Amino acid sequence: MVKIESADIKEREARLVISDTSPYFVNALRRAMLREVPKLAIEDVIFYENSSPLFDEIIAHRLGMIPLPTDLDVLVPREECTCNGEGCPNCTVRYTLSREEPGMVYSGDLQPENEKWRVIDPNIPIVELFEGQKLILEAEAILGKGKDHAKWQAVVAPGYKYYPIIEINQDKLDEDSIKKAIEICPKKILEEKEGKLVVKDIEKCTLCKSCVEVVEEGAIQVRGDETKFIFTYETDGSLDAKTLIIKAAEILENKFKELEKLIG
Amino acid sequence: MIIPVRCFSCGKVIGSVYEEFKRRCEEYKKAIESGEKPKETPKEILDDLGITRYCCRRMLLSHVDLLKDAAPYE
Ligand SMILES: [Zn+2]
Ligand SMILES: [Zn+2]
Repeated sequence: MVKIESADIKEREARLVISDTSPYFVNALRRAMLREVPKLAIEDVIFYENSSPLFDEIIAHRLGMIPLPTDLDVLVPREECTCNGEGCPNCTVRYTLSREEPGMVYSGDLQPENEKWRVIDPNIPIVELFEGQKLILEAEAILGKGKDHAKWQAVVAPGYKYYPIIEINQDKLDEDSIKKAIEICPKKILEEKEGKLVVKDIEKCTLCKSCVEVVEEGAIQVRGDETKFIFTYETDGSLDAKTLIIKAAEILENKFKELEKLIG
Repeated sequence: MIIPVRCFSCGKVIGSVYEEFKRRCEEYKKAIESGEKPKETPKEILDDLGITRYCCRRMLLSHVDLLKDAAPYE
């Protein structure tokens, strides 16, 4: 049975040690986070006036990339909405932006119809306006999935690695080789204690095996535990790290239930 | 042109820290030019801003702001 040995979940980043599992399971979770967890992002932009140095399309793309706060309990995807894809408050969040004076236009200048949807990160530059230039637009944000466009991907840099196992045979090491091993480790996780080589922080090991190569054969063995993983990910802020992984697990569960129904 | 909103490789939002990064780097440059010891190096600024992966670091380090040059051509 899958176990979480330690979980360090902050608002925007998390680090989990998952044991008693296999790479297939951890990777399924990773891919569900990347592709399937829905989030809010700007999809349609109506330009009333744009005399800025950037094209409408570039500005629309930049607006799409801005993380928006997502409340999955309130919003429904537009295809599943009772409005039949026309766009209603249940499936669409509207923003307006209007600037006529010179200066940088920031993501914080997007005015939501309800303060609940205000952009999380107000300091993202969108475009700079110079003397006499104007930018007036309306934007519609909807729920989407990472498999359709990266702007709907809430997770950033999800990854896992095997939990390192380092076995040291002290009899085959001498003062000189201990020094060499400590020196070559790029993460500096080895140290000497009372004439013995010890591991300081095993989770930082990248399994590079540099230390194995500088000592006598068999003195140090480094390998990955194929049933235990260090899983790390970040979010762009639209969902918090905990909601994100729970949602991904729910989606996986529903997919398997569906498969069961289809077979059974 | 203008700083991208996100890192091309990993998708982290990096646009929001660009102006602060630029401002602090200019302070660093000023200190170096006047022969003083700078308060922080660009490396320390990036670390402090939470830009830890090298894909995101290159987004800020290699960016050239050319929007001003394009300004007359709306
Ligand atoms: Zn609707
Ligand atoms: Zn990156």
